[in-house]
Amino acid sequence: MKGILLAVVLFIATIGLLVIGTLSPIPTAVYYAGGKSLTRASSTPQDAVENLAVQIRQRSFGDAYGSLANRAEFTEPEFVQDLTGNTLSLRTFATLEDFETQPLHESADDAEMLLKLHWSTVVGPYETTRDLHVVRNGDRWAVDWPLVKAPHVPPQVIPVNYLRWDVIYSGAGDDWGAQDVQAPRIRIVDMRPVNRAEGVVVMGELLNEDIVPAFVGVRATLLSKSGSPIASEGAFDMISHTLLPKQVTPFLIRFPNVDLSQVGSIRMGPISVLVSASADPVVEIENQKYNLDPEASLTGQLSNQSGQTVNIAHVLSTFYDKNGQLVWVAGQYVDRALPPQTPVDFSVQVPEDLAKQISSERTIVATYSSGNSL
Amino acid sequence: MVAVAIHLPLLLMQLPLKSYDTNFHIFFASHYVHHWFNPWNVKWFAGFSQTTYPPLAQQWVAVVSRVLGLNMAYMAVQFAAILLLAVGVYRFALLWVSPRAASIAALAAVLAGSESFLVYSAGQLATTCSAPILLNALPYLYDWLRYGKGRSLLKATVLFAATAAVHHATIIFASMFFALPVLALAWIDREESDETSGSGFAARTVAIVILTAAAIAVVLLPFWIGLFRYPITQTPIPHPSRANYILSPQWGINYFLVPYGALILALPFIIVRGSRVARLRPLMLGFWLCFMIGLGGTTPIGLWLLRRAFDVLTFERFSYWATLLALPILGALVAGLVARFRLKAAVPVAVLAAFTCAMAASWSHYKPADAEDFNVAPVAQWLNRDGHDNYRYVTLGFGNKLSRLAVLTDATSVDGESNSSRMLPELTKYGGGALTDAKYFGTGGLESLRAMLRHADRYGLKWAIVRDPYYEPLLVFAGWRHVDNLDDNTITIWAKDGVPPATPMNTSQMPPPWEGYLWGTLPFGSSILAILVVLIPDKRRRAWREDEATVTPITQETPLSGRLVS
Repeated sequence: MKGILLAVVLFIATIGLLVIGTLSPIPTAVYYAGGKSLTRASSTPQDAVENLAVQIRQRSFGDAYGSLANRAEFTEPEFVQDLTGNTLSLRTFATLEDFETQPLHESADDAEMLLKLHWSTVVGPYETTRDLHVVRNGDRWAVDWPLVKAPHVPPQVIPVNYLRWDVIYSGAGDDWGAQDVQAPRIRIVDMRPVNRAEGVVVMGELLNEDIVPAFVGVRATLLSKSGSPIASEGAFDMISHTLLPKQVTPFLIRFPNVDLSQVGSIRMGPISVLVSASADPVVEIENQKYNLDPEASLTGQLSNQSGQTVNIAHVLSTFYDKNGQLVWVAGQYVDRALPPQTPVDFSVQVPEDLAKQISSERTIVATYSSGNSL
Repeated sequence: MVAVAIHLPLLLMQLPLKSYDTNFHIFFASHYVHHWFNPWNVKWFAGFSQTTYPPLAQQWVAVVSRVLGLNMAYMAVQFAAILLLAVGVYRFALLWVSPRAASIAALAAVLAGSESFLVYSAGQLATTCSAPILLNALPYLYDWLRYGKGRSLLKATVLFAATAAVHHATIIFASMFFALPVLALAWIDREESDETSGSGFAARTVAIVILTAAAIAVVLLPFWIGLFRYPITQTPIPHPSRANYILSPQWGINYFLVPYGALILALPFIIVRGSRVARLRPLMLGFWLCFMIGLGGTTPIGLWLLRRAFDVLTFERFSYWATLLALPILGALVAGLVARFRLKAAVPVAVLAAFTCAMAASWSHYKPADAEDFNVAPVAQWLNRDGHDNYRYVTLGFGNKLSRLAVLTDATSVDGESNSSRMLPELTKYGGGALTDAKYFGTGGLESLRAMLRHADRYGLKWAIVRDPYYEPLLVFAGWRHVDNLDDNTITIWAKDGVPPATPMNTSQMPPPWEGYLWGTLPFGSSILAILVVLIPDKRRRAWREDEATVTPITQETPLSGRLVS
């Protein structure tokens, strides 16, 4: 009898623990389940949006598409392309790490919800926001997905007449990077350290003075007042590494947890290497506008003038005050690919405390095109 | 013979090489081949100490590799562990059930899905080698507690020490699930026979705990010193065995259905049988607790009991231990069924067991650790020529081939597969595993990779060897240049300009020479000693075997009491 009682207790305990673990899962289990415990019935607008976000996070695009109220307006592949890009882009590389929902308006039959999607990509996180219209259908709610249809470029011929430089290497034994030719001449034309809440930031501009393209990088070492090194960091992706002749790139180097008062001097270490390069792809910046409200930002459009798609673009903007002095350097990856002849929006954020000092800006674009790396 | 028939062909085919961790163990073993007394390994993490992981199984691979080569040596050691498991389960089961039931339990151990899963999919050599040694130690623990025989004390202590020398997690966690039921069993049996006083029993318990703890402390002394000097600061790294298997059924298949297989059908009966029979209750409770923890995040019990360790441990090994704990009761159940129904029971049970084993052994084919197999030899050749190995490298998209490459090349890397061995802040600060698989760890993994690339100059990190174009945008924007292609352009080499040659790093973490000598001597010595002491004849066991013929076949109705009847 005692044994049977023990078995019954264990069965009940097992079931109870399974129920607790499923209805109120531990954080790790939530992470693997896509961000929520159980997919609830979409009995409220919030549930409908959260269920959709979980399905997107789990890349269950079929289920997500099937749950939409306006799915008759577009096909499932179009929906998937809207989320992941219709060609290789930052969206293709992105995974939905987290999401937030915020009700904007709700009535008996429809609601407006804000969905913030936090994506993780190989070059860093980015965020997209969608205003969703949610409609009631019987006792359930469903989302009207605001599909952004990809523009179609008509067939055309693009003449290619850009400049191109090739380098002949010395042979198989060439020690990459330590080439037996003189490095292109480059020069730091501006440099300014500033103290920020997160630490010291060293920013500036680098010029390729040579008549050949240069692959460049900048490294800065903070030295204490006694001359001993405090920290050494590089510009990483806050610089355009390929510089054509006479081209200028901004750079920004971060030193977290260092205060400028500790710094006696800064040793700058620009490096350059001769590389093959071409002026293609040409990306023009259109409708550039500096905005103070609602958030300080530089907005505009990137227009790919070349005949081939640019998969990922990195916008680097340099901001100056009215005296032409460097105020800030900021960058922004564009999450959509740049198809030929098709403008794509960009927005570069500026710290609010610096926003009013800015009177002019200059923007360049670094690009990545799949298969063009060698 | 079943072990030979099933596992030997699979091991001769080197099936475990496809698993997650096999190459990691081979990499550690390759270091012992060349540097037996120097645990400092410069090939990973810009230099790390191999005293961060118990060495015994890998040292045996290193020794056997002198004859068979590393791959086959691994298979040989793994095969020995499987054979030893059958023996261990039999001896452990004899504590609880009849010899016939114990034989069935041993046979079931060979066919267990969790064993095949760990061997062929997970590649957990240390777990699958340490459990058999632990199981073989437990009967000696029982004998010592019951009869106070010094010979049993010696054998148990040495075998426990050898278990720890193979795998620290097994001795820390599994010993609780296995040893406490044995302790309870010895107490129950003592009450029935009234041979030993309560205080005597307690004294023996304290004595073996102290002696074993001391032996383990000595055998793994450099490990404990390292742990004390450099406590683990690694941010928890996600592992799907911690998922809720109901909410994430894909992981439920991987970590529950495949390892347990047809044993799932027997679970209710194991609980009922284990509850009804007083002598089986400690074992059943140990099984139940281990089973529940083995469910990972499906229930909160693992987090409640293990607390921070929950985010460090992986739970497939708990399922493995739970399976081993269930085997004696399963053996008794099957023995009873076969005794009652003969072939009508034996045939379906055999079919289910074979299916369980087959499914788990073949699982690495259906859900491989690496989607594609590829040859890392061209990469190793590239790194080994023209002074490329003057710099460090990182691979991206290599999966568990990272370890295979490290075996073949002289060059050093900032990456590695041992989460407990990493000290570089760029790795420990973020919740990502090996950099080569950064994308699978979401933001944590990618942040870690970006931090490492950002500090390439600091580590002499000049080469990024890429097999997954996913990482190319990062390299392009971070200032790396594509400089070469290998293996029909499926692997690309990227270089960072201006990086100084790699210099020795982390030297403050380098164990002193005396620790190296201890590391090369004591763990391996414990296994030699274990072999020797086990060979010492055991009079009691011989007498015990003579009683076997008198054991009554078990049926559901047979009242169960005494050591030889279950």
